[in-house]
Amino acid sequence: MKISFTLNGKPVSCDLPSNRRVVDVLREDLGLMGTKEACGTGECGACTILVDGIPRLSCLMLAAQLEGRDVTTIEGLSKSGETLHPIQQAFVEAGAVQCGFCTPGMVLATTHLLSENPRPTREEIREALSGNICRCTGYQKIVDAVELAAEKLTEKGETA
Amino acid sequence: MITKVVGKRVERVGILDKVTGKAKYGADLEIPNALILKVYRSPVPHGIVRKIDTSEAAGVDGVVRIFTAKDIPGENLYGIINKDQPVLTGEKVRFEGDPIVLVAAEDEESADRALAALRVEIDELPAVFDPNEALKPEAPSIHEKGNLLFERKIVKGDVEKGFTASDIVIEETYETNMLEHAYIEPEVGVAYRDEDGCVVVLVTTQNPHSDHAQLVSILGVEPEKVRVIQTETGGGFGGKLDISVQPFLALAAYHLDRPVRMVYSREESFQATAKRHPLKIRMKTGATRDGKLTAMKAEIIADTGAYGSYGIAVATRAAVHATGPYEVPNVYVESKAVYTNNNWSGAMRGFGVPQIAVAHESQMDKLAESLGFDPITFRMMNAFTTGSVTPTGQTLNASVGIRETLKKIRPYYEQLLREADATQLSGLTGMKYGVGVASMWYGIGNTGHPNPSSAQIEVDHEGNVTLFTGAADIGQGSDTVLVQIAAETLGLPFDKIHLVRADTTLTTDAGATSASRQTYISGRAVYEAALEVRKQLVERAAKVFKVPANLMVCEGGFFFPQYREFQKLSLTDIIRRSLVPGEVIRGEGYFNPETTSLDPETGQGVPYTTYAFASQVSLVEVDLVTGQVGVVKTISAHDVGKAVNPANVEGQIFSGVAMGIGMGLFEQFYPRKTKSLDTYLIPTAMDVPEITPVIVEVPEPTGPFGAKGVGEPALIPTAPAILNAIHHATGWWVNRIPADLETIRGLTSADEMEKSKS
Repeated sequence: MKISFTLNGKPVSCDLPSNRRVVDVLREDLGLMGTKEACGTGECGACTILVDGIPRLSCLMLAAQLEGRDVTTIEGLSKSGETLHPIQQAFVEAGAVQCGFCTPGMVLATTHLLSENPRPTREEIREALSGNICRCTGYQKIVDAVELAAEKLTEKGETA
Repeated sequence: MITKVVGKRVERVGILDKVTGKAKYGADLEIPNALILKVYRSPVPHGIVRKIDTSEAAGVDGVVRIFTAKDIPGENLYGIINKDQPVLTGEKVRFEGDPIVLVAAEDEESADRALAALRVEIDELPAVFDPNEALKPEAPSIHEKGNLLFERKIVKGDVEKGFTASDIVIEETYETNMLEHAYIEPEVGVAYRDEDGCVVVLVTTQNPHSDHAQLVSILGVEPEKVRVIQTETGGGFGGKLDISVQPFLALAAYHLDRPVRMVYSREESFQATAKRHPLKIRMKTGATRDGKLTAMKAEIIADTGAYGSYGIAVATRAAVHATGPYEVPNVYVESKAVYTNNNWSGAMRGFGVPQIAVAHESQMDKLAESLGFDPITFRMMNAFTTGSVTPTGQTLNASVGIRETLKKIRPYYEQLLREADATQLSGLTGMKYGVGVASMWYGIGNTGHPNPSSAQIEVDHEGNVTLFTGAADIGQGSDTVLVQIAAETLGLPFDKIHLVRADTTLTTDAGATSASRQTYISGRAVYEAALEVRKQLVERAAKVFKVPANLMVCEGGFFFPQYREFQKLSLTDIIRRSLVPGEVIRGEGYFNPETTSLDPETGQGVPYTTYAFASQVSLVEVDLVTGQVGVVKTISAHDVGKAVNPANVEGQIFSGVAMGIGMGLFEQFYPRKTKSLDTYLIPTAMDVPEITPVIVEVPEPTGPFGAKGVGEPALIPTAPAILNAIHHATGWWVNRIPADLETIRGLTSADEMEKSKS
C-alpha cells in the first residue's frame, strides 16, 4: 500500500506491504541505520523512534501505522546546521555512552521526557527511561546526561 | 608524575558517531546482493544424528545452498582453550541448540521455509543436566574423554592442621546462577571473498585474532586467506569471545560467489551462545579467636554445559581466587569443570571470580559476626599487603591496594549504618534495612599462560601519527585509553593520533578483550611503541637543531633544545625537515606480563603479574511481604593502579554494580526454558541506585603509567555485598543467588513458622 508520512521533517511516500515492520522500513527501505533492533519483541527499547513526538517501539509497529504521522529518528534529531542536538551534546559531555547500541533509543526517549517535563528529578528520569535497557553504563551517566540536557535546553529557552 | 593526557577525562573515541546513529555495527553494513544465513539447531539436548535429508529444503524457492558438516573443508572443531565444539555437528548433539545445518538463501523468508523443510532424524540419548550427576560412573557420556573437563587443585600449607589450630570453623554450601550476558547488540556479521580470494569477515567480536586463527583452521586455508575485521561492537562481557556467526559466515563465503550476512535473533543469541558457569561451592574456613584466618578448604563444581569454551579458565580462576584478598596460611581447593547437556558456559565478566566471591565474602561476614568484629575490621586484619603470599605461593611485591580500598569505604560504611538505623525507625512495617560489605581481588590477564599484546605507531612524512592495535573496543573504552597512552608518551595532544584497530590484516595480535587486560597489557605495548617512536623523533629533532639527542626536550607536540623553548618546532616541522615523502618513522611495542604455569598437583606458581583490588558497601531494603530486595546506595572503591581515564573507570564501576545487582537479585537463565528478554530480566534504570565510585591508585610498576584493570573487578563485590546486607537487615544468611522474591518470601515464611511453633 502507499504510505505517506513525515520523516525527520521531510515528506516521504513509499509503496510498502502494510504489515512490514517500521524498523525494517526505516533500516532496509530508507537506509536509516541509526534505529537499532536488539530484541524484536518490545523488551529493550533500542528501536525507539518518536511518532508525533511520542516514543514508539519501531519493532512492534507496522508500516500502515505511519500514515500521516510525523516520525523522528536519531538521524533527524539535530536541527539543520547543528552538528548535535543539545541532548546529544549532553550525552557526549556526560560520557553517557559505552557500546552505544542503546544510545539512539535513549536519546529519543530523553527527548520526549524533556518535552513533557523540562526539569525532571533523577528519580523521574530513571522512571522515564526504564523501558530502554542498557547493559554497559549502569545508567548513572545517562541520568547525568539527561540532567545536563535539561539544563542546556532551559538555558537556551528551548524545549526538547 | 605530571601528565597531560593520561588521567584526564578526554572525550571518548567514536562517541559522536554513536550519539548521532552513524556508528556502523554489523547489522548496519550495507553489502549489496548479500545472501541471508540461518542455522538449523538440534531440538533435543542429547542424541545421535541418524539422517539429514536436505532434498526438500534445497528445492525451496530462494534457497541457494545448504551446508552440513561434510562441507567444512578444514577441521570441524573449535574452542579457545580446548577444541571440542563442532561448527556443524554431523554425529552427536550435546545441547538443545547444537547447530546441524546451515542454509544460505536470497531472503529471510526463504531461509525460514528451508529450515522448516529440513528432515533431520536424531536418536535421542539420555541427557544429564546436573554436574554432580554427570560425574557419576553411570551418567551418560557427553564427550568421549568423559564428563570431567578439567580439575584444578591448589595446595598451600596443611589445611587440616590449620583447622585443628582454629578456634572457629565455618562450613557452608553456596550456589550461584547461570547467567546470560544480554549485551544489547546480538551476534551479527557479514562476509565476502575479495579479489585475492581472501575470505573477509566483518563481525561483532571481542577477539579478532583468535577468530582469525580459528577460521583458518576451520577452512583449512593459509592465514592470509582469511581476514577478520571487528565492526563497532554493542557489548560483549565475555560472550563475544567464542566464535558465533563467524564460522557460518566464513564457510558460506568460502563456497559461494556472493557476500553473506547473518544476524542472530535475540532468541538465537540466548540459545546458541555461552552463559555464566553456575557454581556449587562447599567452603570451610577457620580462624583464631583473635581474628586471624588459619585455613580454607573449598570444593568447587562448575557446570560447563555441552562444551568446554572457557570452562578450564573459570575453574582455575575460581580456585586461585577462592580465599579472597586475604592471607590464609593453609589452603586446599579442588575445582572441577564438568560437562552436562545444558547450554555451554563460557567467559562472562570475571570468569568464576564473581561466583567464588559470593562464597568467600559470605564466609568472612559469618566469621566476623561469630568472633565479634565488624566486617571491615575483620577484613583489614587479614587483607593482603605488600609481601603477602597468595594461595599459589606468589609473593605480592607491589600495587596491593586492598587495605586502601577498605580504609576508603569505612566512613561510608558508618554513615550507611546510621542511615539504615534511622530509616528502620521511621520506615514502614515489613521493611528491613541493612548494610553489607564485600571485597575482591582479581588477577589481570590470562591465568598462568602467556598473554602478550603488540602495537605499532607510525609517523608519516606529513606528520600524521597512526596507532595500530589489535585490541577490540567493545564499548568499554580501550580505543580512548590506548590513544591517551600513546599521546601522553609521545607528548602529543589526544586528537593528533589516528587509530586503526582490530583488523587482522592491518593490526597485529593484541590478545582478547577479556580478563580486564587491555589497559594493562595492550596499554603497555602501546607505551613501548610510543617510547620507540619518541626516541626516533628526538634523534631527528636533535639533527635538525644540531644538538646531542640527550639535550632535546619533547613536550606538548613540540621539540626544542633544553632551555631554548623559544626555538621550539612542532612535530610536523621536524617531520618535514627530516623525512622524505614515503618515509615513515615506526615503533613496535610488545608486552607479555611474567607468569608461570601452575603446578598441576599443587597449583603453585605465578598466575598473574598483578592484581586489582576492591571493596564495596551497599545499603539495601528488604520488603518482607513481597520478598523484593532493593539496593538503595552503593559505594565502590577500586584500586586500579592508575586511572588512565577516570570517566571510563567510573563508567566501568557503574556498569559492574548494575550487572552485579542483576546477578545478586534476579537474573537466572534456565536452560531450555529461558528464551528471551521477556522472561530474562536485566536491571533497568529503576533497579540501579546512585553509585559513589572511589578510585584508589596504588601504581603497578609494570603497568602503563601504573595502570592495572577494572572491567571485571567492577562487578565482583556487588552480589556478596548485597547478601551480607540482607543478613544485616534480616538476620538471614542467603547462600544462593539470585536472592529473588521467592527466596526472600521463603525465608519469611520459614521464619514465621518457626515463631508460631515457639
